[in-house]
Amino acid sequence: MLEFDGLSKSYGNNRVLEGVAFTVAPGSMFGFCGANGAGKTTTMRIAMGLARADAGEVRWRGRALDQALRRRIGYMPEERGLYPKMKVGEQLAYFARLHGLDSRAAARAAEQWAERLGLGARRGDQVEKLSLGNQQRVQLAAALVGRPEVLILDEPFSGLDPVGVDALAEALLEQVRAGVPVVFSSHQLDLVERLCDSVGILARGRMVATGTVTELRQRESGRVLRVVVPDAPQGWASTLSGVRVVSQQGGDTLLELDGGADEQAVLAAALRTGRVTHFAWREPTLVELFREAVADPAERGEEVAA
Amino acid sequence: MTEPSTPSSAALVRLVAGREISSRIRDKNFIISSIVIVVLLIGGIAFQVIANSGADAARLGIVGEAGRLGPAVQAQGEAVGVDVEVAEYDDAAAARAAVEDGEVDAALLDGTGSAPELLVENRDPTLEAVVGGAVSGLAISDRLLAAGVDAQSLPAVAVTPLGDAEDDQQRVIVAIVGVAVLYSLLILFSQFVAQGVVEEKASRVVELLLATMRPWQLLAGKIAGLGALGLGQIVLIGVVATGSALAFDVVSVPGELISTVVTVIAWFVLGYAFYASVFAVAASLVSRQEDLGSVIMPTTILLVIGFVVAIQAAGDPSGTLATVTSYVPGLSPLVMPVRQAAGEVAAWEVALAVVLMLVAIALIVRLGGRVYAGALLRTSGRTKLREALRAGRA
Repeated sequence: MLEFDGLSKSYGNNRVLEGVAFTVAPGSMFGFCGANGAGKTTTMRIAMGLARADAGEVRWRGRALDQALRRRIGYMPEERGLYPKMKVGEQLAYFARLHGLDSRAAARAAEQWAERLGLGARRGDQVEKLSLGNQQRVQLAAALVGRPEVLILDEPFSGLDPVGVDALAEALLEQVRAGVPVVFSSHQLDLVERLCDSVGILARGRMVATGTVTELRQRESGRVLRVVVPDAPQGWASTLSGVRVVSQQGGDTLLELDGGADEQAVLAAALRTGRVTHFAWREPTLVELFREAVADPAERGEEVAA
Repeated sequence: MTEPSTPSSAALVRLVAGREISSRIRDKNFIISSIVIVVLLIGGIAFQVIANSGADAARLGIVGEAGRLGPAVQAQGEAVGVDVEVAEYDDAAAARAAVEDGEVDAALLDGTGSAPELLVENRDPTLEAVVGGAVSGLAISDRLLAAGVDAQSLPAVAVTPLGDAEDDQQRVIVAIVGVAVLYSLLILFSQFVAQGVVEEKASRVVELLLATMRPWQLLAGKIAGLGALGLGQIVLIGVVATGSALAFDVVSVPGELISTVVTVIAWFVLGYAFYASVFAVAASLVSRQEDLGSVIMPTTILLVIGFVVAIQAAGDPSGTLATVTSYVPGLSPLVMPVRQAAGEVAAWEVALAVVLMLVAIALIVRLGGRVYAGALLRTSGRTKLREALRAGRA
């Protein structure tokens, strides 16, 4: 297990993290979401020893992370960093060696990862001569080249074209299948929803939701039913008990049901108005869950989720 | 497939050092500057040889018997370090022709007469002074003799050479050249270290590096790698310079030349450890190459002062300034080799300077290492020294 346990961090009077905690099982992917400035990067930097937590620790297999354990982590920082004048292949081999591979294994790993991420032809080029998208791929390869036991990636998908996204997603899934826990932060929630076994949402330094996407959906208070009744009059459902009309446009009606309300009674009422062309629970998308979760209760509507 | 192992500190330092060397050694600017230094050095020595051989022999034509005049001119020439060859001509016309043909540099007509005249094709103040001095010297002694005064009875300054003054002079020149090379290399390689530190900060690659190693390992590897390169270069320069100096026969005492070169190289090691550490720590405070100049300026000034004092010390190796500065850490690597070459120092003095330098280096590595660690991850603008110290201690 990769455990983030009660991380707190302040910069002066600014409390950046307050008791951030979540766990990532080996062989699973954890999507780390949160508005800009919510504290995702700080959390990851603490894990990598680049920032010091005021309280709490990060553990891998029950041991607090130290320099030796961190060397087994593949890390991609938010601010990309490579030697601009070093050649792609040599650079990857160098990072592989820093992660403990011997020189022959490092050279081979560098070659493989460059090939895998579509950089085979650019191995002999200096990093600064590459396009930003390709530099991004080198950065990813640098995180993967040391055969990591754990992957911590800060915004790995930003700046990649769709082909690059697919290549990276495939590479990450392969790592997961090999038993590596993967944590990555992203604003691309559709990607998170598609790839991640579990999701954590961070807002103002606190974890406001963690769990699988399904769990998050079920936890959502109230259940929303979408009923399309083309012939129904306006306000057809307003008299039903335990039902609140969220919206009605023509016959397209969104209803929020209390815990005790019976959706079959709603269906019967709908049928009494005439034809029913759509009747289903509406699953909130991760985007909606995210908006709900990060909205500040005190200033609801003012905070803009990215 | 072997499993990744945990590299030891030494292995990490070696890896970092290896990267520094291999990326620097392929840098065109580095290669070109190395070649230029070696070429300049050999060129300088060759020029010295040519200039000496050219300037030393002046040819003077004298009409009639050279008689006393020849030896007088040669003695006068020797006093100012000019060899004079004397040729005799039968009459003024032949002497004039010889000057015009360039057979001789000048011709003296009526040297012992009442109206001596010197014919020259190209004016040469040294030769003119030498001839003038000799002619008037002879005339004076003749008049004195005529007046009954024996020139021999006049008081003359007796010169007693103490020790091997000329050899010392030669060693001091070697030391100055050595210190000039040392000074250039110290600046060059300390700058390399500083630029490398900023490059890692500016490109943020330092975050990836520090996720795998400690700041001191990164710092040690960088300084050691570039230091090895710098040492290699100064040894190369030393060997080339000594070799060509011996080949061209510029120096008379090879053993002392070699010992001076070795001294300079030894001081380079100490000086580099000092300046590279200070430059690295200073560089860690900024995040852009543009800001580098302002933070390394104070140290650069110290280096320049050391160089200026060293040149001054060559003229006055036992003066107060040279003596005091030869103990000051940072200045001693530049001043002490000159004093040593001049033969003005006792062994304990050198030992004291070395110890002081080592203490200073230990302090810098300790304090500076903390600043470096504290400042490395602060990539916003310029970090204050105190903030970095506090962050490094936390």
